[in-house]
Amino acid sequence: MIDLFYRRQAMILGTLSMIGLLVFWQIAVDSGFINPFFISTPSQVWAEFLVQLEDGQVAANVGATLYCFAWSMGLATVVGIVLGMLAGWFSDVEAALEPFIWFKYSAPTVAFYPLFVAWLGYGTPTIIAIAFLFALTPIYANTLSGIKNIDRDLAKAARSFGARPLDVFLQVALPGSVPVMMAGLRLGVGRALTGVVVAELFGANAGLGYAITYYGQLMQTTKMMVSIAIVILLGVILTQILSYFETKTDAWRVDSGPLI
Amino acid sequence: MADVTTDRTTPRQVYFSSFCPSRQGIVGTLAVFAFLVLWQLAPSLGWVNGRFTSRPTEVFLAAIEIFRDDDFFFHARVSLTEFVAGFALAIIVSIPLGVLLGTSKIARYLIDPPLMALYIAPTLVLLPIMVIWLGIHMAPKIAVVFLGAVFPIVLNTMAGMSEADPRMLRMARSFGATKFDIFARVLVPGSLPALLTGIRLAVGRAVLGVVVGELFVSQAGIGYQLNLYGSAMRIDRLLVYAIVVSAFGYTLTVLVLSVENKVRDWRSK
Amino acid sequence: MSQIEIRDLGIDYRKPNSNEVFSAVDSVDLSIEKGEFVTIVGSSGCGKSTLLMAVAGLVNLSRGSVWINDKEVTGPGADRAVVFQEASLLPWRSVRGNVKFGLEMQRWSGGDLNERAMQMIRLVGLGRFSDYHPHQLSGGMRQRVNIARALAVNPEVLLMDEPFGALDAQTREIMGTELLRIWERDKKTAVFVTHDIEEAIFLADKIVVMGRNPGHIKEVIKVDLPRPRDEAVLDSEGFHNLRKRLRAHLAEDMSSMQLVREVA
Repeated sequence: MIDLFYRRQAMILGTLSMIGLLVFWQIAVDSGFINPFFISTPSQVWAEFLVQLEDGQVAANVGATLYCFAWSMGLATVVGIVLGMLAGWFSDVEAALEPFIWFKYSAPTVAFYPLFVAWLGYGTPTIIAIAFLFALTPIYANTLSGIKNIDRDLAKAARSFGARPLDVFLQVALPGSVPVMMAGLRLGVGRALTGVVVAELFGANAGLGYAITYYGQLMQTTKMMVSIAIVILLGVILTQILSYFETKTDAWRVDSGPLI
Repeated sequence: MADVTTDRTTPRQVYFSSFCPSRQGIVGTLAVFAFLVLWQLAPSLGWVNGRFTSRPTEVFLAAIEIFRDDDFFFHARVSLTEFVAGFALAIIVSIPLGVLLGTSKIARYLIDPPLMALYIAPTLVLLPIMVIWLGIHMAPKIAVVFLGAVFPIVLNTMAGMSEADPRMLRMARSFGATKFDIFARVLVPGSLPALLTGIRLAVGRAVLGVVVGELFVSQAGIGYQLNLYGSAMRIDRLLVYAIVVSAFGYTLTVLVLSVENKVRDWRSK
Repeated sequence: MSQIEIRDLGIDYRKPNSNEVFSAVDSVDLSIEKGEFVTIVGSSGCGKSTLLMAVAGLVNLSRGSVWINDKEVTGPGADRAVVFQEASLLPWRSVRGNVKFGLEMQRWSGGDLNERAMQMIRLVGLGRFSDYHPHQLSGGMRQRVNIARALAVNPEVLLMDEPFGALDAQTREIMGTELLRIWERDKKTAVFVTHDIEEAIFLADKIVVMGRNPGHIKEVIKVDLPRPRDEAVLDSEGFHNLRKRLRAHLAEDMSSMQLVREVA
């Protein structure tokens, strides 16, 4: 059992340090230590954020990014889980997919960006494709691991009761792999967002990444910082949401806390 | 004297018959082979447009052209320089930082949340700002490599330092070890596996940093070539460069992984 | 004066997340002579390990004091070495490197560290394995390294906290005999904590029986069995009688023990 006191302490200190960072940032720029051109100030960024909120830019950009995010994450989840389950259950499938996964793991997906552009043109399809590939790896890997590494004792017990392979899969492997799968989804979320935003940096006409590049070309740091801040915030929020679901599905796990 | 260790009188050895192919190896190789065959034949069968996908043979020939052409090594060197500079900088900064932060509980609570947020956040989005700060030559790319590599190394090193077995520490104290002794002789060597994990994770992000950086803005380098051939629809050449980058990332990762495994071997009970 | 004097020792702990205080040990008085092999035995929770930690100087005392050779114990010292249940060997060091660890921590100046380490390694019977790493050794071998490391610093008092507790029954028996063989060489003062009655009798010159709630000494029993001891002694009448006495003590404890444990 995590000591509630320490958890609270961690949260307080964490929030304090975030606030401290913002304060330090503001002071550093105000006192002339850092040139505001390069990084703007929290107050200016906040003001600009409100402006962008008013004129609908925030909504439009966040909307575009989330649209691509949803599509890529959805595809990655479906493909990743299906492939992961197949590979986890049938070792031949795993062996066949392994060289490609290894390649994908070590190849920076973005290196193939120009290839995707050549195939799908600039814009949404390419963005979704890149983000899909980004997110696929952890989802596939975790699902694979979850199915492959089921508790052998549980499987043996099931079989001793006459369960057929399909039963073992549905009643033992599947439920048992949920925690690991959720962890994979959580990782996938971060990567999908990264994929979308990075792809938007290059060829897009809407979205947070697009806004960053656009204002970047105009050297408008404050406006850039608004989008950057939103991206970071979005990443944290989405990951936290997934974390929450992760703990919910983890509830039945036997707590390995100290039993005196 | 009866040896209590009849099961372990020789060091544990794993015997592989490295020449006898495993079933997995065979299936894997067959899959790759099948893929290559399909790739080669698909355009002729009219399944895909050959202009967009190229073929293995074309890619192979393009590779030969490229390697004979001096420019390849020039571009490779540019990218490699950016990678090494950024990564080396990251290591120099993050290892001491990770070690120091890992020893103080308060520091960990304070620094962990922002660090975690930055780790999750795509540091690549800072690329445009880096360009504003540092210009359009090598510097912003080195910066992005640095940022990509720093966080996993610091976070993993910190974790490694704090994972020390309290019973190990108690044992050291019982021999009169000073705080510094414990730090230098127990904590730091003990965090080596975690440190290596951090480095392995950093490699992937660093390679990504170079490629994205060069795709975004560059006058030379592998990314520059990727852009060039992409826009010129020379898919065969583009693929050669993409494969080179993948091979580089792969080799480096495997290298770090093998060191990591060797070190983890010590830990296995 | 005895070599080890424990006077009116009391050690209290505060329960986590509450203001309740409970005594791990209370009002403990004990004397141990130089060269005695003393075992401390009792059921779980009787404070025997805590008592050992007090002598080792690894725990804060709430009341009373511990004296070794007329000097009060305030922390760990070069005159004592502890052999814990977990060997806690540094995984990245070889057997020899691990045995040297204690010597390095104490800034040993009595000669070449390697020489000294090898001597100890041979003494515990691992001469062939000095370059092996912990992950290549069995549990019994690791404990031998643990013992070698402790002996290397030439302590006046050897403290052992259930060192064979994690080993299987046969290994435990063999290690007991081995320990006595090693001990016979220098006959250092030894304090050995265990919950195994037979082990307690087999090894000891004196047995300290502890009880719980709070931890206290119930009885100190002298063991008159002849030394050196071997398996034959296990069948002797003296051994049987001692075993009966100790079992009676533990049975008392069992009946008064709550069978439902609190989960923290």
